[in-house]
Amino acid sequence: MSVRAIMPQLGLELVELNNVSCCGTPIQSVNMLAALYLAARNLAIAEKTGLDDLLLPCNGCYLSLSEAAHFLSQDDKLKERINNVLKEENLRYEGSIKIWHTINLLHDLVGEEKMRRVVKRPLNGLKLAVHYGCHILRPSTLQPVDNPETPRKMEELVEWLGAKNVPYPEKLDCCGYMLLLSHPDAALTFSGLKLKAIQDWGADALVVSCPSCQMMFDMRQKSSAATTGAKLNIPVLYYTQLLGLAMGISTERLGLNLNRSPIDELLQKVSLISTAPSP
Amino acid sequence: MSIKARAAIPYSMSIIDLTTTKKPDLALRLKISAKIGEQKPHNCFQCIRCTSGCPSMKMLELKPHEIVSLVSLGFIEELIASGIVWACATCLKCKERCPQAVAPVDLIFALRNLAVEREAKVPESFMHSLSAILETGFIQRPQDTVTRKMEKVNREKLDLPRFHEADEKFKAAFFKVLELSQE
Repeated sequence: MSVRAIMPQLGLELVELNNVSCCGTPIQSVNMLAALYLAARNLAIAEKTGLDDLLLPCNGCYLSLSEAAHFLSQDDKLKERINNVLKEENLRYEGSIKIWHTINLLHDLVGEEKMRRVVKRPLNGLKLAVHYGCHILRPSTLQPVDNPETPRKMEELVEWLGAKNVPYPEKLDCCGYMLLLSHPDAALTFSGLKLKAIQDWGADALVVSCPSCQMMFDMRQKSSAATTGAKLNIPVLYYTQLLGLAMGISTERLGLNLNRSPIDELLQKVSLISTAPSP
Repeated sequence: MSIKARAAIPYSMSIIDLTTTKKPDLALRLKISAKIGEQKPHNCFQCIRCTSGCPSMKMLELKPHEIVSLVSLGFIEELIASGIVWACATCLKCKERCPQAVAPVDLIFALRNLAVEREAKVPESFMHSLSAILETGFIQRPQDTVTRKMEKVNREKLDLPRFHEADEKFKAAFFKVLELSQE
């Protein structure tokens, strides 16, 4: 929702893809070829529109589709096999489309100047921790959105809105989402430990870029807290929701009424900051 | 053994499990290598960089370097039966950091696929995802949700585009892929 809401102000237009399916990540463990097919199918549908760029606001989808594009560019035989099946739906994958994630789209394509220009309500003084999520940073063979070991783009994006970034050593830790199906307790311990660290480092909120991580840190914050024994009280929101706030977009249009973590406290801080006379 | 002598040992040579006198299954190892493409588990020199950075090591005692070693030696059936491959969180740190370009996580995916093929221990929900995709194209249909003030909302109310369920053509093609993967 927040991705849709921010696009007009950035001068970008989104085109809806109607017949897309799952990206393949959830069944990679069951059948890699089927997962690859789903990814290639979605790429083929995007290519059919004749557009040059495809935006994936989810880390899992970003990795799955980048991986498929990489494999199919390396292996012509495999590409033919996949295309043979795609033919039944009148699709064909060529490998011409460029894949973007929200983070590198905003950082690299939109860029600092424009990003700073769209900020109407700077978030001065807000202390924010960022969580990239594993699948947009690794592996480095698949053009990740940033440096796999020392990423800086999300920090910069947060700073461009006027907020302060809180560095913390657990930044690259996994949210645990992919363990949820097989070891739910361990998965919640992953997210619980990370949230506790972020709370201890004194962040006002956690900014994420991936729906799966958001599900762990936001929706499952209470269950995560149970695994660590700590009381967790951290607002968790998407970067695009934060950007929308800085742009002055209404909280409903950003879907901020749907977050499960204590967002209201953050919203109060934001409105205090933006109504205070600027120094 | 010197490094040179180690390198001279052919890839196909392996050991016997002394506790069960079971010989490693070489055919299975070929099946795994077909799934992982270019990378070669026998390039691993057991530096344990993967395991030392593995978040599942702390929580679930997953040791990626052991998995690589067991695959090279051919103890694949044992690995699958142990169920340990389902302890990976797929954070991809092992793949990123391996100095020998062995990706333990890719091996784990290949082993999981093999576990499904051989109907070994597989967490049920993984299979549910597959059947849901066959039925709808997604792992789940969109569901109604509530706001923090407990107000019920759905896609229409949130001004989101309509959900398109997969048609028969998609299902037929996807089924064909599942058959292809059995070859």
